[in-house]
Amino acid sequence: MSGEATALGREAAARRGRATATVGMAIFLGAAAMLFAALFFAYAVMRAQAPAWPPAGQAPLPRGALGANTLLLAAASLVLRAALAAARRGDGARARTRAGAALGLGAAFLAAQIVVWRALALGGAGPASGIYGSVFFAISGLHALHVFGGLLALAVIVVARGAPGVARTDRRLALAALYWDFVLAVWLLFFFGVCLR
Amino acid sequence: METASDNPASGPSPAALFSRDHKIIAKQFLALGLAFLAVGGFMAMLIRWQMAHPAAPVPLVGRALFGASGGIISPAAYTSLFTMHGTIMIFFAVTPILIGAFGNFCIPLMIGARDMAFPTLNMLSVWTMAAATGTLTASFFVPLGAPQAGWTAYATLSTAVGTPGLGQTLWVVAIYLNGASSVMGAINYITTIIRERAPGMTWLRLPLTVWGFLMTSILNALFVPVLAAGMVLLFFDRVFGTQFFIAGSTIKGGGDPILYQHLFWLFGHPEVYILILPAWGIVSDLLAFFARKPAYGYRVTVGAFVAVTALSSLVYGHHMFTTGMSPLLGESFMVLTMIISVPAVLLFLNWLGTLWRGSIHLDTPMLYCLGLVFTFGVGGLTGLFLADIVADMYLHDTYFVVGHFHLIMAAAVLLAIFAGLTFWFPKMFGRMMSEPLGKLHFWLTIVSLNVVFGGQLVIGYAGMQRRLYDPSVYEFLRPLLPLNQLISRAAFVLGAAQLIFVGNFFWSLACGRRAPENPWQVGTLEWSIPSPPPHHNFEEIPVVNHGPHELGNPLVLARLGRDWLGQTEAAELAWPARTAPEGPVAGDGAETADIAGAPAAPEGTT
Repeated sequence: MSGEATALGREAAARRGRATATVGMAIFLGAAAMLFAALFFAYAVMRAQAPAWPPAGQAPLPRGALGANTLLLAAASLVLRAALAAARRGDGARARTRAGAALGLGAAFLAAQIVVWRALALGGAGPASGIYGSVFFAISGLHALHVFGGLLALAVIVVARGAPGVARTDRRLALAALYWDFVLAVWLLFFFGVCLR
Repeated sequence: METASDNPASGPSPAALFSRDHKIIAKQFLALGLAFLAVGGFMAMLIRWQMAHPAAPVPLVGRALFGASGGIISPAAYTSLFTMHGTIMIFFAVTPILIGAFGNFCIPLMIGARDMAFPTLNMLSVWTMAAATGTLTASFFVPLGAPQAGWTAYATLSTAVGTPGLGQTLWVVAIYLNGASSVMGAINYITTIIRERAPGMTWLRLPLTVWGFLMTSILNALFVPVLAAGMVLLFFDRVFGTQFFIAGSTIKGGGDPILYQHLFWLFGHPEVYILILPAWGIVSDLLAFFARKPAYGYRVTVGAFVAVTALSSLVYGHHMFTTGMSPLLGESFMVLTMIISVPAVLLFLNWLGTLWRGSIHLDTPMLYCLGLVFTFGVGGLTGLFLADIVADMYLHDTYFVVGHFHLIMAAAVLLAIFAGLTFWFPKMFGRMMSEPLGKLHFWLTIVSLNVVFGGQLVIGYAGMQRRLYDPSVYEFLRPLLPLNQLISRAAFVLGAAQLIFVGNFFWSLACGRRAPENPWQVGTLEWSIPSPPPHHNFEEIPVVNHGPHELGNPLVLARLGRDWLGQTEAAELAWPARTAPEGPVAGDGAETADIAGAPAAPEGTT
């Protein structure tokens, strides 16, 4: 009977812990949102003051490649949601596989992003080429750093050798999924608000 | 790792360096902050020497520090000095002490939690801060020397065009890391206060100190990232050649130096409240404790905190009246700034209401609080001059501004730090600080700092600009030299007086009187457990029945023979006896009174 009671207590404690962690993550995402909001504000100021946008003679961005990148990041976010669904069903093995797939998609996004930066820089449209390059490289660079942080978190989840379906992996996966949604949202704002305009 | 040497470990064993215990982390923040407070204070002394004796060799330390220029502070060194003085005092002294140390120490103890919600994040926060201090310190030792763009680092002066060299870049990195540490702390504090309050610790039973930390943390979480964005863009400008803050041509487009000011002050004005809100919280509690009365208008005080927090980001434009902003925008900022003084005045009136007809105990923490009430009053009123566009056009960038913000940041906030340290020192270290030394320190400090910062108001009103290397090159400023010398003398007294505090601190640490559990006879939760508290604070999570200031209740005095009631003690103790057969209430109380374990008779309460 006491065993049952402690199990119930552990369940309640896990639920409490999950809620606490979600509150913490929400505050962190609020802070990160302010960071990107300030960057977009800087973009708006730059753009409002420019006589033409994109500035005259500006080499066009590789929109096709950036569009493909958008799909990669969206796929990572979706696969992570699927991993979370699997974990919630108690299917720990599948949750880990899917988290690993999301990790791969995220890493592919980062690699493709580096290819885009390199091509732009070699083509004379690097960060120092003007205000357009400034905006593109600063926002996409800081975004990439956040993607990298998300990859580290996913790597911890995939590598961690917890028993399948234990509350801890569950909780971490839920937080990671929340974070990846945020990273995707920022990218979509950037893609549609900066790259396509 | 270079960061290890920056952080004088406060724990007895090396393992304490990586502790996740909020009390040890608090002490790490305290050690780090006090060390930098000393460094920043020493820089202030050098600055004051230059103002009193322009281009004269600095006595005692001149040869060692400025050997190349024969002991004279060179213009470049002077510029670095005021830049680093401001940076260190705001980001590396006041922030770690007030928010890092007090926040960490007080929040879990005062809300009845065993630790922070995220202890590992807490440890990372102090180590990020240590990395930031290491980066900042390194900037002294690189080619072209320490940063020279002022603590505000306005572009374009702070870009690679205005300040080349690694020093300013390291400054940018250090501020970014410092901000990351603050945000980590804020996430922890907010989550802890929302989620870890003991049963019965309702929002309106929170000590005002905790309210102060909550509001500060909200501002930290929202607006430090805006500064971080500014730092990121400045870093990109300096390192990758982007042009955010470098004005371009009208044909090609380009950056805008004023954008930096928007990003900086959108953070920078909330930062003022980030630093003053914990001070307000501490002093609001302590005035009640030492006046032996409940805090007057507790709900209004809480409302004032919330109102100031909400308004704080809407007033930042008053730092930028002279940037040529649209008059309509300027007037909006002026009106909003005037409006924010309304909650501040309500708060101030509540302090006076708390003191009114209180049984005032002039222990050292109370002296510091009363000093704070005075300097905050003067500092706040001088802020109104600067909020007014017409007056600001004249006063902008003069020593009037310097005097104003030092009265708030260096006088009021510093006095809150001293008040908090003397008040919680027994709980932190298990020993009492010396009262006579504390009183001596207080009187020397309060007199000299008012001469220093009051004098700065006067010379600023007379037209002396801030950041001048040698004011005497301007003929109209030459008559101010005697006044500047008086200010400097007072500043040296102020600096020397701090040595008394340092002495008191270490002497008390080593051989102060052993502190009882509840030396100040107050009821908040941290005083219901041993001094210093055990590892996980509370044997059993307390159940809270009262607000934080159950003081001077005549029913309690009649029943228990003391004028205070712990927050966990039986609720009936504070109420008039019921007619129903509720049982012997006083008997109940005798049991619960043991929680405090202190002698029941308070000294001199009648």
